Amino acid sequence: MLPIDIRPDKLTQEMLDYSRKLGQGMENLLNAEKIDTGVSPKEPVYAEDKLVLYRYDTPEGVTPDPVPLLIVYALVNRPYMTDIQEDRSTIKGLLATGQDVYLIDWGYPDQADRAITLDDYINGYIDRCVDHIREAHGVEKINLLGICQGGAFSLMYTSMHQEKVNSLVTMVTPVDFKTPDNLLSAWVQNVDIDLAVDTMGNIPGELLNWTFLSLKPFSLTGQKYVNMVDVLDDPDKVKNFLRMEKWIFDSPDQAGETFRQFIKDFYQRNGFINGGVMLAGQEVDLKNVSCPVLNIYAMQDHLVPPDASKALKGLTSSADYTELAFPGGHIGIYVSGKAQKEVTPAIGKWLNDHSA
Amino acid sequence: MSNETFFNDSWMDLQRKYWDSWTEMSRKAMGTEGGIGQLTNPWESALDNWWKALAPAAPDASKDFMGKMMEQGKVFFRFGEAFAGGKPGDGVSPTDGMAFWNKALEDIQKGFSGSMDDGGNVMQRMMSFWEMPLDNWQRMMSSMSPMPGDALRYMPHDQVKDSFNRVLSAPGLGYTREEQGQYQELIRASMDYQKALQEYNGFYAQLGVKSVQRMGGYIQEVIDSGKSIDSARALYDHWVMSCEAVYAEEVATPEYAKIHGHLVNAQMALKKRMAVLVDENLGAMNMPSRNELRTLQDRLQETRRENKKLSQGMRALERQVAALAGTPLEAPATAIRSVAPAKTPVRKKSATKSTSTD
Repeated sequence: MLPIDIRPDKLTQEMLDYSRKLGQGMENLLNAEKIDTGVSPKEPVYAEDKLVLYRYDTPEGVTPDPVPLLIVYALVNRPYMTDIQEDRSTIKGLLATGQDVYLIDWGYPDQADRAITLDDYINGYIDRCVDHIREAHGVEKINLLGICQGGAFSLMYTSMHQEKVNSLVTMVTPVDFKTPDNLLSAWVQNVDIDLAVDTMGNIPGELLNWTFLSLKPFSLTGQKYVNMVDVLDDPDKVKNFLRMEKWIFDSPDQAGETFRQFIKDFYQRNGFINGGVMLAGQEVDLKNVSCPVLNIYAMQDHLVPPDASKALKGLTSSADYTELAFPGGHIGIYVSGKAQKEVTPAIGKWLNDHSA
Repeated sequence: MSNETFFNDSWMDLQRKYWDSWTEMSRKAMGTEGGIGQLTNPWESALDNWWKALAPAAPDASKDFMGKMMEQGKVFFRFGEAFAGGKPGDGVSPTDGMAFWNKALEDIQKGFSGSMDDGGNVMQRMMSFWEMPLDNWQRMMSSMSPMPGDALRYMPHDQVKDSFNRVLSAPGLGYTREEQGQYQELIRASMDYQKALQEYNGFYAQLGVKSVQRMGGYIQEVIDSGKSIDSARALYDHWVMSCEAVYAEEVATPEYAKIHGHLVNAQMALKKRMAVLVDENLGAMNMPSRNELRTLQDRLQETRRENKKLSQGMRALERQVAALAGTPLEAPATAIRSVAPAKTPVRKKSATKSTSTD
């Protein structure tokens, strides 16, 4: 028997089926409405430069936790990933558990923001948002939830302002940036970051997109589009796919000076492990983190490998350190059905238990 | 005519006509050695014509995505075309099993090595799949440069390198010697970027060969199992798996890290030389240069930083004074609206408290 036995008549039928699905799918695409970003109702409560701090509405019948929660998202993507779909929203899940949720939207930096430093983000923007929330609620401490790069920011912030943080949750957060399976780290070792920043000013989002897509180019820029034909006949699935597609390519430019320090200090020098990260003349020391810590990682994460996140264990002085492993990927931890059933409720419960 | 009518009636009718014709041509070509290799995939042509007609009407939100789908749809069916009744070369009978497919894979490898000419049109289109990583780079480059991302891709390099180096090594003369030096640096940076791009491209060509070998291993497994691949989709999926597996192994090597770094650094160096020339020209026109603007930005940011810290300190002092006086504190100017004080419910603790895990 031949290993490949594709008869012309069978191939014709397969192509006709594909064409039919494609035709039906195209109709849904042509009729697609504007892609919304963020499905849960929220209100802006504080603004500074490009930054907007949002507070999400507490659902009816839910008693909010007395300690508010601030979500710190990464700079390299947009935060609506946490609230991208009606039935798969991390924000909605947290609200349902009684969290009083705030989220920082960093906005889209332009060349006027080139000189913003990592210190400006950590001890400036984040600190003033925290102070605003503390003052609004009349509390001394709040809970922090850092996501990916936002988790690294949250670790730095907590280490320098422990008196303002009640408990800390990190999700798919890189701590050890030089684990053997970290492709991004391997690639950046030979890049002259100073040359890049001196030349470009801000680092374009397109460059970051290229880097992320280069991790799995055939799947992410090829096979994905062939496979999606199978679901394009469902308008709701089309809409959800377009939401994801928008998010994937919606990468803000990075403020040059922040990018310079973050990449050099963490990806090239592995700052959390080796030390030497300086903010406002003060060295960042994770031993100053003494509050309860919940560290969540994704077991199939190719962007932030599990070992990169698990390295946090032992680096802080927290007497209450918990790890939670999610059997999925970097994006699935926010949008998969399994994550909604397991991860978000676990976060809510942990926060409630540590907010008394 | 509504879109629905077009898709439900005309579109499907068009497809049936195309595939009826293609099937008939395929049957005729079965008895013609090498004939199928010359056929143009009618589905691709139909898709091209259809997309050209419809693309202008597509909403912006979907257009880019639809374009990607069109392109990958073509790749998908090239695989089916390549193997459906195809004969890779002379002297090998389909009944020889693995030998037949070894010949097909060898032809693909030759194509990656550049030794296959027009006779391998079908195979060459299949190999274009491996241009995807390079295409990604070029698209990104185009978005950041006034020049097309592939501007230097086909420019001869080795043949002119010696001549260029000789010209570039000449010292500048006369009143414009500095300007001559600037352009020499620009050309050097351009040549270095071109070299880096060729290294990047060459690296992927090698990966293409390895992917073919990986695919060959998979086909051998199919033969050993006594089964067969009977759909284009399965064939396409396994080709993607082979490519992705080889890619993941090779791009994790130090060699690739160097190639990647060289490409990015060379691109940045070239762009920097361009920026220098732009600044020179802006200065000549008595206009602010990029360097001047950056200096202003740095000074402004420093001032803003100090101002924000002072404001934050003052706010803290105001809170202390208000606390001592027992009076409510007004919201800061940057607050969009006041947040009502949260209620203070009493929450029951769970029976067991979470503890650290080993």
